[in-house]
Amino acid sequence: MNRESAEKIIEGALGEGRKVLSEYESKRVLEAYGIPVTREVLVCEEKDVPRAAAEIGYPLVMKGCSAEIAHKTEKGLIRVDVRTSAEALAAFREIKHGLAGHKGGVLIQEMVRGRRELVMGLTRDGQFGPCVMFGLGGIFTEILKDIAFRRAPLSGDDAMAMMREIRAHAILDAVRGMEAADRDRLADMLISLGQIGMDIASVLEIDLNPVILSGKDPIVVDALIVLSR
Amino acid sequence: MKTGNQDSSAVKAPDAARAAGTDYERIFHPRRVAVAGVSPGGGVGFGTRYLTSLQAIGFEGEILPVNPKGGEIAGLSIFKNVEDIPGELDLIVIAVAAEAVLPILEAGRKKGAAGAVIITSGFRELGTSEGIGREDEVRRIAASGIRVIGPNCFGIYCPKSGLTFFPNPDLSRESGPVAFLSQSGGLASDFMMTGMWMGLRFSKVVSFGNGADLREAELLRYLADDPETGVIAMYVEGVRDGSEFLDALKAAAAKKPVVILKGGLSSAGGRAVVSHTASLGGSRVIWESVLRQAGAVQVRDLQEMAQACLAFSLLPERVYRGLSFTGGGGALGIAACDAAETFGLEVPPLGTDARGRVEALLPKSGASGVNPVDVANPYAPPALLEKIFRAVAGDSRIDLQILIVLTHHFKGLAQDQGKTIEEVFPYRELADRMKAVAVETDKPVVFVLPNAKRGFPDMDVVEIHAKVREAFLERGLPVFDEIGDAMRAIGHVNRCYGKGETS
Repeated sequence: MNRESAEKIIEGALGEGRKVLSEYESKRVLEAYGIPVTREVLVCEEKDVPRAAAEIGYPLVMKGCSAEIAHKTEKGLIRVDVRTSAEALAAFREIKHGLAGHKGGVLIQEMVRGRRELVMGLTRDGQFGPCVMFGLGGIFTEILKDIAFRRAPLSGDDAMAMMREIRAHAILDAVRGMEAADRDRLADMLISLGQIGMDIASVLEIDLNPVILSGKDPIVVDALIVLSR
Repeated sequence: MKTGNQDSSAVKAPDAARAAGTDYERIFHPRRVAVAGVSPGGGVGFGTRYLTSLQAIGFEGEILPVNPKGGEIAGLSIFKNVEDIPGELDLIVIAVAAEAVLPILEAGRKKGAAGAVIITSGFRELGTSEGIGREDEVRRIAASGIRVIGPNCFGIYCPKSGLTFFPNPDLSRESGPVAFLSQSGGLASDFMMTGMWMGLRFSKVVSFGNGADLREAELLRYLADDPETGVIAMYVEGVRDGSEFLDALKAAAAKKPVVILKGGLSSAGGRAVVSHTASLGGSRVIWESVLRQAGAVQVRDLQEMAQACLAFSLLPERVYRGLSFTGGGGALGIAACDAAETFGLEVPPLGTDARGRVEALLPKSGASGVNPVDVANPYAPPALLEKIFRAVAGDSRIDLQILIVLTHHFKGLAQDQGKTIEEVFPYRELADRMKAVAVETDKPVVFVLPNAKRGFPDMDVVEIHAKVREAFLERGLPVFDEIGDAMRAIGHVNRCYGKGETS
């Protein structure tokens, strides 16, 4: 765990008067706390696209990355399954155009394959302080609201209980030819999220959605960190 | 917003130190109680009603009434000032006008009272600067050496010492394992009354009103270590310090069951939020989550709370997975199985051995010895039921037995024979036999007593129903009105004692 590097990123954003970290910055904070995130490179110039794409390896996901834009899907700023250098360059131009002058770059990221999407998060309750969320991810998060909360700091038992508590808990088992999720790894991620809330008072909210199960391994595919001053 | 970064032990330290010095013994079991605010003219003011309630319930200690006018009340001479009372006080109950409370509280402190109950309202709840200022003064005096319950409360009920709630002169002197904490005095009073007829007996009930001094977290810690308390029930609207409360709750729930009814659960989060996590984490969801995390048993209303407390009071501390049902009707058995499943309980078919022994006792047609056991007769004699229950208890998969008794059917039988219901329904014998079964087999017997006849023409059924209930409860056998109530209460017991189990 590297609390200082996380704090540095956050102080930088606060110094610029921002209340939101970009996806790229958010993931660096998570990484500092040992939470597994997608491999990715942030690219600002078109000339850097081919090398970054080769480094990550096709197929790719490309996303507009700006702290000024919280919900990317709705703005058409995501391209998935980008397979060639030509496609990558075309995607770069379209996304740049879509950013419409907002400050930021294009995130070139590995495409994580997995049919099971989870959500994790942190909110700060006025009465009880930082609380960690776990639940069904992707589009189901808001539709089914199948979620569990625990107040930070979390014990290992708390984290395991959250996973048992959601109605769809069987999604973590070995189902339909998929491996059982690595619950210990998931528990570590939830505990670490709570720790971020305990350590850094200016972190107000966190969304990790989706967290995709690639085989048994959870990986944070998209992240948002909201700050307070 | 910054609570997450605080070191909660630093916040708690002063309270913990004060709690260690709090003489709860003299607060809950006082021998000398001053009642300030009685009316000598035989009025019905709060102080007078409190005093007469204390006398009616049979408080054995000394009652010392106070009123500046002096005189006499209920055979006691009234002191003009608290200072005039000779010797030391244990507790002072204050029911004077709000503006007169502070000097009396201070006088009580000087008289060595360990605690004060301030019934008077007109403090922080007014929302005015005057009321808030007055409450701050209460807290200041409390900090200088007296623990305060209230203001704006109904006080303490402790059947062992004979301390009673305002204004409940008719509460039982019989002690039991249930403690209850509540900000609201009216709700506490309702819960006691509901609980009493449902079979609860109390160790201590505290309504702490505005909670200027003593309140949820400290009282929880006290009750967690109180040997007279076996189960803690609690009504919570808000708490003063979330972390302190949850720490106290977690510590208490590790020692004994804590049943909580949270009032004022709204789904609105309050502040404007950006993330999905924050929009999903409204106050209701967070409250329910943190209570679960702390190991509390959560209930939705007073009835469910009383039922859960009854189960915790009377059932030995273990998990009851397999249930048997016995009754005189097939459809009731099906309803029972459905309800059981809802609360994670099982109704396993009896093994061949137990089943054979049960069926040998039943009539040939219409009955079933599988589980549910249908005796096909609402008037089955107690001796037969006892034999059936002993046979069923022999099955290792059965942890607890339920008998469904349809009291209302006895009215028809009584009419046919020209007798009273009491004469045709040997419920005391039934209770005795079932008590023996429960003790000797070490498998609890729980009664379900539905009553289909509660209207005015059937007051005789209502009466016998109450008598039957009392006969069972007197023998320590839990009684519930409906199958679902019993299943839900047993489900709470299982979740509480089966913590850590995956279910």
